[in-house]
Amino acid sequence: MSILPFEDFTVGRVFPCGPYTVSKDEIFEFAREFDPQPHHLDEEAASKSMLKGLSASGWHVCAIAMRMIADDILNKAASRGGVGTPDARWIKPVRPGDPPPLLVEGAETPGPRRSPGVGFPTIHIPLVNAREQAAQPAMIPIIAKRGSA
Amino acid sequence: MSTGYWEDIEIGARRELGSFTFTEENIIAFARKYDPQPFHIDPAAAKQSLYGGLIASGWHTAAVWMKLVIAERDRNATWKSGSRAGVSPGFEEMKWLKPVRPGMTLFYSTEVVEKVALHSRPQLGLLLSRNEARDGEGTLMMQFIGKGFVERKPPGERT
Repeated sequence: MSILPFEDFTVGRVFPCGPYTVSKDEIFEFAREFDPQPHHLDEEAASKSMLKGLSASGWHVCAIAMRMIADDILNKAASRGGVGTPDARWIKPVRPGDPPPLLVEGAETPGPRRSPGVGFPTIHIPLVNAREQAAQPAMIPIIAKRGSA
Repeated sequence: MSTGYWEDIEIGARRELGSFTFTEENIIAFARKYDPQPFHIDPAAAKQSLYGGLIASGWHTAAVWMKLVIAERDRNATWKSGSRAGVSPGFEEMKWLKPVRPGMTLFYSTEVVEKVALHSRPQLGLLLSRNEARDGEGTLMMQFIGKGFVERKPPGERT
């Protein structure tokens, strides 16, 4: 397996991920366990809600983005995990059948100060839904092994 | 008693949301679906990792916050009848501070820290909340700033 070192996360480099298509059943399954609100569980109630139709829990959208990033970036980067995310925005609802590919972009690479051998590249994650509207952008710093380590 | 309207929610209002125990089984089940990194799904590989053992996905610890918010809301009649909240535009400053390991029970809370009136959507207000998960000894394990839209009172009833 090729290893993506910290140094590969250059600003502006694009890492294609996915696609991952979320089904209605998966939206229900996640919502029953973690976010049992009518607009994620019941199509009729959802059509009358602010979101005007069934949509995935925002936490489910984060989890889906995580899955795509894990499969296509982190598990190829000898990742040591993440420490959180400074900003995530749920801009548009993610509906059954969404979302298609995720494009992850290297955003900035602040140098580590106290962690020899690893770096913390920050990736910008614009997740786009099937209608090509941004559904969720987020910034995530990840812990990546340095090539020289 | 709170009506659930944005106007009636006070900054500083805090709710204890209850607890959740992470197990090897639920950590692996979540991570197999959504975060299949070795230290979340494979106890043997996790032992060799930076973490020295299996740890929960940060997104799992966050999703449990949501689960407990809804469970608490459903237990609380005033919130349930109010039910004027539910849609969120996102969150900020999600921090996974300490590894969450099998057998750990985390205690979750939410506290209102800011209210923002929305000129673009006069029928809604935004609430910002500080949300935390702590272990049994009170050590902060996970925190984030949540954002939620809450229905505003009809204009004639705002004071």
